[in-house]
Amino acid sequence: MSQPAYHPVLDPAVAPPFPDAALPVLRNPQLRKNVAHAIDVIQTKRGRLVEEKADWQALRTAAAAIRTQALENLGAYLEEFEARCTAAGGVVHWAADAEGARRIILELLREENASEVIKIKTMTAAEIQLNPHLEAAGVKVFETDLAEIILQLGGDEPSHIVVPALHVNRSQVREIFARRMGIENLSDDPQALTAAARSYLRQKFLSVPTAIGGANFLIAETGSVAVVESEGNGRMCLTLPRTLITLAGIEKVLPRYQDLEVMLQVLARSATGERMNPYTSLWTGVTPGDGPQRFHIVLLDNGRSQILARQTERQTLRCIRCAACMNACPVYRQTGGHAYGSIYPGPIGAILTPQLMQMHHAQSLPYASSLCGACYEVCPVKINIPEVLIELRSQVTDQERKQLRRIFDPMYLGLRVANLLFSRAWLFHAAQRLGRMALGWFTGKDGWIHSLPGAGEKWTQTRDLRGMPKQTFHAWWAARRNAGGKEAR
Amino acid sequence: MNAPSSVIRRQVLDRVYAATRNAAGSVEQTVLPRDYIRRGALSAESRIELMIHRLREYDAEVTECAPEALPAVIVEQLKKSGRSIFAAPAGLPAEWLAPGFAWKVDRNLTTREIEEADGVVTACFCGVADSGTIVLHHTAAEGRRVLSLLPDWHLCILRASQVVETLPEYFSRCDQLPALVTRLVTWISGPSATADIEMTRIKGVHGPRFLHVILVRDQGAE
Amino acid sequence: MIYYSTSRLMFILRVMAMRASLFITCYNDTLFPETGRAVVALLERLGVELDFNSRQTCCGQMHANTGFRAESFSQAKRFIRQYQDVEVVVIPSSSCVAMIRDQYPGLVHELGNASLRSELDALLPRVYELSEFLTDRLRVEDVGAYFPHRVTYHASCHGLRSLQLGDRPARLLAKVRGLDLVPLANLDRCCGFGGTFSVKNGEVSSAMLAAKLQDIVVTGAEFCTALDNSCLMHLGGALHRQFVGMRTIHMAEILASTEAVPAEAIA
Repeated sequence: MSQPAYHPVLDPAVAPPFPDAALPVLRNPQLRKNVAHAIDVIQTKRGRLVEEKADWQALRTAAAAIRTQALENLGAYLEEFEARCTAAGGVVHWAADAEGARRIILELLREENASEVIKIKTMTAAEIQLNPHLEAAGVKVFETDLAEIILQLGGDEPSHIVVPALHVNRSQVREIFARRMGIENLSDDPQALTAAARSYLRQKFLSVPTAIGGANFLIAETGSVAVVESEGNGRMCLTLPRTLITLAGIEKVLPRYQDLEVMLQVLARSATGERMNPYTSLWTGVTPGDGPQRFHIVLLDNGRSQILARQTERQTLRCIRCAACMNACPVYRQTGGHAYGSIYPGPIGAILTPQLMQMHHAQSLPYASSLCGACYEVCPVKINIPEVLIELRSQVTDQERKQLRRIFDPMYLGLRVANLLFSRAWLFHAAQRLGRMALGWFTGKDGWIHSLPGAGEKWTQTRDLRGMPKQTFHAWWAARRNAGGKEAR
Repeated sequence: MNAPSSVIRRQVLDRVYAATRNAAGSVEQTVLPRDYIRRGALSAESRIELMIHRLREYDAEVTECAPEALPAVIVEQLKKSGRSIFAAPAGLPAEWLAPGFAWKVDRNLTTREIEEADGVVTACFCGVADSGTIVLHHTAAEGRRVLSLLPDWHLCILRASQVVETLPEYFSRCDQLPALVTRLVTWISGPSATADIEMTRIKGVHGPRFLHVILVRDQGAE
Repeated sequence: MIYYSTSRLMFILRVMAMRASLFITCYNDTLFPETGRAVVALLERLGVELDFNSRQTCCGQMHANTGFRAESFSQAKRFIRQYQDVEVVVIPSSSCVAMIRDQYPGLVHELGNASLRSELDALLPRVYELSEFLTDRLRVEDVGAYFPHRVTYHASCHGLRSLQLGDRPARLLAKVRGLDLVPLANLDRCCGFGGTFSVKNGEVSSAMLAAKLQDIVVTGAEFCTALDNSCLMHLGGALHRQFVGMRTIHMAEILASTEAVPAEAIA
């Protein structure tokens, strides 16, 4: 069976906390193997291409600056984009939240009498859970990205933002395609599986008159929209239908066309380890005789303006969705994407999701990191993810410490007491003595602790802990000084 | 019941302006650090070599030829492809429309008609050697977007003088063009591809499965 | 020979006047006093006049990284005030140095205390992680150490990325006589400690640890060393549980070790 043994929940409002959601994955060796394999391939390719780029750090600096400039002047750039796009025959819509965006899109589809749509992979549409709402309104959605087809037909959820089905291996894909496309004798060769997807979608591309897609960049200067892809399904959706509806977060703006000379150099290398992705399409409103003759773009806020308002967190919106952070993340490597309970997994998800939920949900995500900094190191727009994680952790703590039940929470109790102890050396030293006595109970003859109760059990499940030495360093230093300096040793 | 769209527009923009009120600098004040490589350092010959190398690395086929030999080389390549029906943009030079093949010149061809073509021949705006990228601005000789999309085999004519080394050099060339030209842009780096199944790169998904480039050695034009 | 003595003389002159204050860190003080003793042995051997402020406690890293920002303020303030007058602070823990460099400026900025801010600005350039102090300040790589063992080096994330220690640790270890340095695969991958992460996300942390142990064990080294005892506590705890015979050791203890006084004697 290809169906996952568990069904991942990617709605942050109801998803279980990260440590719990990670468990089924940690106990699924096949899935972990699939994830690690895919990540190793991308990481090796990325590493090689970044290495060959002599000006990589200068490109990162420029990319970060361009995104920062775009965000700091976002209002003006959005209005510029709107004016140019409108002048070129596009229709610009604004949505304050997910519900607003869905309503606009459903209305547009109703005007088109659309019973089917073809769709380019877009994280933003997944963010507003567009597909289930379209299906509920009687609109059949055909995902056209290979990975999205695998997930849609397999009833699975994305676990990565660039390679959404990286947790599924070829024999699982074969099973899904054979079952859902009704193909007998399908081999598990990726070439054959890809060919099956091509013929499965070809007629849809040629006949469905409405497409829904996202945007990688909006260019304020020209009013153009850019979509970056590999398979050509994007070009199909952007070119063949009569009507194109694009959904884009308001943060996607770039000031100038020329800015792409930086963004496209860093994006493909970071995302798939290619010098350039096979296809990038840019269009501006409507071009008579070429492509869709009706173009609508929905600009979505959905919490972004609130992130924008916060000094430390604003950098979150620089993100260009390359997924380099999750590929580099040692936590993601173990858990895959589903554990994050959101369509945005990995380090960027750990900071973006709780903020999009306005810190009402997904509070476990800022803790889903060892703060190792690998994400920051690879981020092409230099988002200091550890810095934002720590900022969000303090917001979570500030929320939680008001809760009554936290009074006896060992973590809260412990850290508060520790803070008091650290405020006076004598208190700290007294606590060390007490701690030694207490831990002495658990320390074995070999001088090691093999088992602890309570929160400590999480440690001793897999590791021992060395027992506390008899003499602290400061006690040794004092004794040495009293004995007359260096000779004491 | 639901707020009218103009109200929501104002609401979103107001929030955005309020959120950035205390942001660092205005657009005019900010000087962006652009210390990355703008101009390439390769000789003209090495630049072309790199373009060819990168195109091949991403599974495109490349044939070189002298300018005067181009029509003959096109014939040769069309024959070699084993295909017979070819689409062509309306502005494609007449001497490129090799005799002996069925040509569908795009004067409002329908999607179905284009889909029936086995291949397509187009010009292009620019080649970027660093990434092996071909840029189409969809002018009369480059064709509508759909034209270079549906046929499974794309033969693209690239002149050596159109090849730049770095991506920023392409953008400098755009500076000299009216904005209208960049209204529609397609960048192509190799045939369509996917790595969605176990990160195995598979050539050819929905876009053309075969990209063939004739690189015309018109160096004197530089 | 003449060159050697001149450079040796220069070194002695440079170090002679060097005074440094040791910030041992709370967990080293409590759990790894041998690391502190090794730092003392090493630096005094090199001629540094060491000082130890007995009122020191903690830099605030655990609180800050767990989200207890309000609590970490007081510890940051305490550290800055305690060390504002010293010539140099040496800290044998890369993550604590990272805390001070990366987070103190933000904390102090938030406190809005201008005098504290200028004190921090003046202090920061004088805060050194141990290997930085040796290679950058004392400009010494050969510390005269002797440690005849097969050793692998684990680059703690904070040392690697925040402090950008680069090849400093390798340069120091290369000059240790008798030491056989075995490279560790996936050097840039976290061991899964992450402070309270190891408890809050115990299972994930354990999975990361297991992956790291694989890499460590295949080196066949007798010792795994690092510049941060927090990673070593994590790795050492698992090595003790699973692979008896391989141990962790802070690099200070290797560098302090000589023929006359081997590491075991300091420990």
